[in-house]
Amino acid sequence: MSLNRFEEMNSVQIDALREIGSIGTSHAATSLSSLLGTEVRIPLPEVKILGFNKAVEELGGFETISAGIISFLSGQINGMMLALFELEAINLLLDRMMGKTVKDYSELTEIESSAVIEVGNILISTFINALSNLTDVKITPSVPQFAIDMQGAMITVPMAAYGNQSDYIMLLGGTFLIDNKEIPCKLLLAPDVKSLNYLLYRLGIGE
Amino acid sequence: MEKQTIGIADMKLARNQGTLITYALGSCIGICLWDPLLKIGALVHIMLPINMEKNRTSPFKYADTGIRLTLTKMEQMGAKRTRIVAKIAGGAKMFNVPGNGSLGNIGQRNIESVHQVLRLEGIRLLKEDVGGSAARTLFFDVATGEGTVKIYGNIERKL
Repeated sequence: MSLNRFEEMNSVQIDALREIGSIGTSHAATSLSSLLGTEVRIPLPEVKILGFNKAVEELGGFETISAGIISFLSGQINGMMLALFELEAINLLLDRMMGKTVKDYSELTEIESSAVIEVGNILISTFINALSNLTDVKITPSVPQFAIDMQGAMITVPMAAYGNQSDYIMLLGGTFLIDNKEIPCKLLLAPDVKSLNYLLYRLGIGE
Repeated sequence: MEKQTIGIADMKLARNQGTLITYALGSCIGICLWDPLLKIGALVHIMLPINMEKNRTSPFKYADTGIRLTLTKMEQMGAKRTRIVAKIAGGAKMFNVPGNGSLGNIGQRNIESVHQVLRLEGIRLLKEDVGGSAARTLFFDVATGEGTVKIYGNIERKL
């Protein structure tokens, strides 16, 4: 029986998704690591099926300001992939890549914003490539879109898109560790229910 | 003064005094409904324009069922439909969505649906702060019927 709702997933399916997530995020971490020339990893990616409000809280709160890079996925899977960078993470990236930091998001120049978008894009496309190779599913990510605003409003983008299918959202992802220090940078995959079914089917644990 | 926070797909009511707050409205819309005579106020945080769910487990998620159920609850407290007025905020477009899919227009569709439902229910829309691309936090003072919209970058607007 295929799933009608995210919350119907069983533990075998959740484990398999976590495993995919782990491979996807480790590829993304490797590409970030070679970009920054330092050790980067995501220790344990998580699969979370959460109510809307709980999801926003767990990701760091409604009004927390972040730079968000979103890519809309099409092809054999529909969904969104979101990379969120808080100021501390942006400064770490800018410092390593350009040798400068900013005090506030408003100080970001066009070139610095582009650098952040590019990093987000690299993380997202590396994750998607790994996922696509692993499951043999064709996924086309859109050109990444960028915003600096309240995190809560950015996370509601996938929620609203799939909101008439479910009161829950499934988020697969984790927080990066750079030189063993946790930095506020998150990478999240949010597929719709139909695509989740298809993914599970390709993994041999769905129908 | 008592503060109440309204989450996504949620609604709260207050009488005489209190502040109703909802955070980080993106494409979602916060609808403040107020009976000025009895000072009964409600704030609903809707996410989608129209409820087409079969089992209707979450009426406040949608503009149509959310507004209608809130009006009913206000009337149960004694509010009169003819006195109730509305102020709304939200309906932004957080990201540009490539292509013409309905995905990118959720904010706009929410605005249109809220307008239509208010019109059908005979509720006067006093003021709105909608559209654009910025997230909004909405405060609604039940004693005065005043709304305040806060936007990233220390911007504050009266509603």
